[in-house]
Amino acid sequence: MLYNVHFGITVDAAMPVEDKSKSLLPFLSSPKLLPDESEAEFQQGLQSLLSELDNPSALAVALVSQLNECLWWIRRHTVDKELLLHEAMARLLSREGSNWMGSGNSALSVALEHYLNGSADKDEVALIEEALIDANLTLADLRARSFKDAARHIKMVDDLIHRQHQTIRHLQRSIDSIDYKSRLIKRMDLELAALESKQSVKGALTLDDKSS
Amino acid sequence: MTTNPRRSLANQSNALKSTGPRSAVGKRASSQNSRKHGLNSAPYFESLSEYRALVDLIAEEGFSAFACADIASGLLNYRRVMDAYYDTYTSFEPVDEFLRDVTVKASNPIFSELLSPSGSEPQDVRDMAAFFASMQRQERRKGGPVSRRSADTHKLIRYQRNAIARLSRTVRQG
Repeated sequence: MLYNVHFGITVDAAMPVEDKSKSLLPFLSSPKLLPDESEAEFQQGLQSLLSELDNPSALAVALVSQLNECLWWIRRHTVDKELLLHEAMARLLSREGSNWMGSGNSALSVALEHYLNGSADKDEVALIEEALIDANLTLADLRARSFKDAARHIKMVDDLIHRQHQTIRHLQRSIDSIDYKSRLIKRMDLELAALESKQSVKGALTLDDKSS
Repeated sequence: MTTNPRRSLANQSNALKSTGPRSAVGKRASSQNSRKHGLNSAPYFESLSEYRALVDLIAEEGFSAFACADIASGLLNYRRVMDAYYDTYTSFEPVDEFLRDVTVKASNPIFSELLSPSGSEPQDVRDMAAFFASMQRQERRKGGPVSRRSADTHKLIRYQRNAIARLSRTVRQG
């Protein structure tokens, strides 16, 4: 019987668990990525996490996929922290300068972004340097003041990153518990098999005694 | 589509005169205006085919029927929250650059021009300028796109905390 699982993957119910985990892989690991993000990189991270598990079950794969997504979110939020600082720098330059409001913040933000990345063209460099002179600031001053200005939002992003860390901890505990459970079940199966074989040997011996 | 600043101001001033929707359909539609993510509504996963498939898969791992149901709904609930998290992160309120960058004093002639034909008094123009200035302050306080998406996503922290705690608890107790 075929099931159409969440996110559009089809899983065969009669499939062994190992194969199901592979089938589940796209269902829980096909991520919603941003346009500039690489899916290959995302999948590579997931594979490296899965490779650390010995024969993971379908549920373990599902949980590891969520864990990988959390790591991805941490990356996004870390980039956001720097972007917040850039935004605040552009805002500050715009506020401190005499005629910058008229030209709009966006042009200045883009120029500043390129300037900080080292990919600014001549006009952008001139625009930023002129803005810095106009505002009577150095780049270091601007950065320090912007940090103070953006502190509230940077704190929010720190909270978001902290939340992802906490989520990872929860997921790790869950994966450990599944792993422990599966090992316990295996051990109990072995003990049961040993008991059954002992029982059958005993039964055979009793029958032998009676017949003799 | 480019926004004409004068048209935008006229729309905003006309909107101030609005008393809201009158028809039942309009009221029903506007009742959903502030709906952001829908995470406060109780989910019913049991009717989904994904839920049954997950329950069957988890059952093969030696969990009891109750545990399977709890884990499957816990997992789907966590996915629901994380999907809303992504949607909130990617669809934040856009920055109104005109409102943010324009100076209120420079806008006053526009107000006058808009309101004079309808017989508005200068006091009206002053009130509108004050209102416009307060909107501008709000707009600037929200910051740029990254600040907005961070603030919006931050509101979903508690949903994520509850969803992962529930999932983790059901898996470990199962």
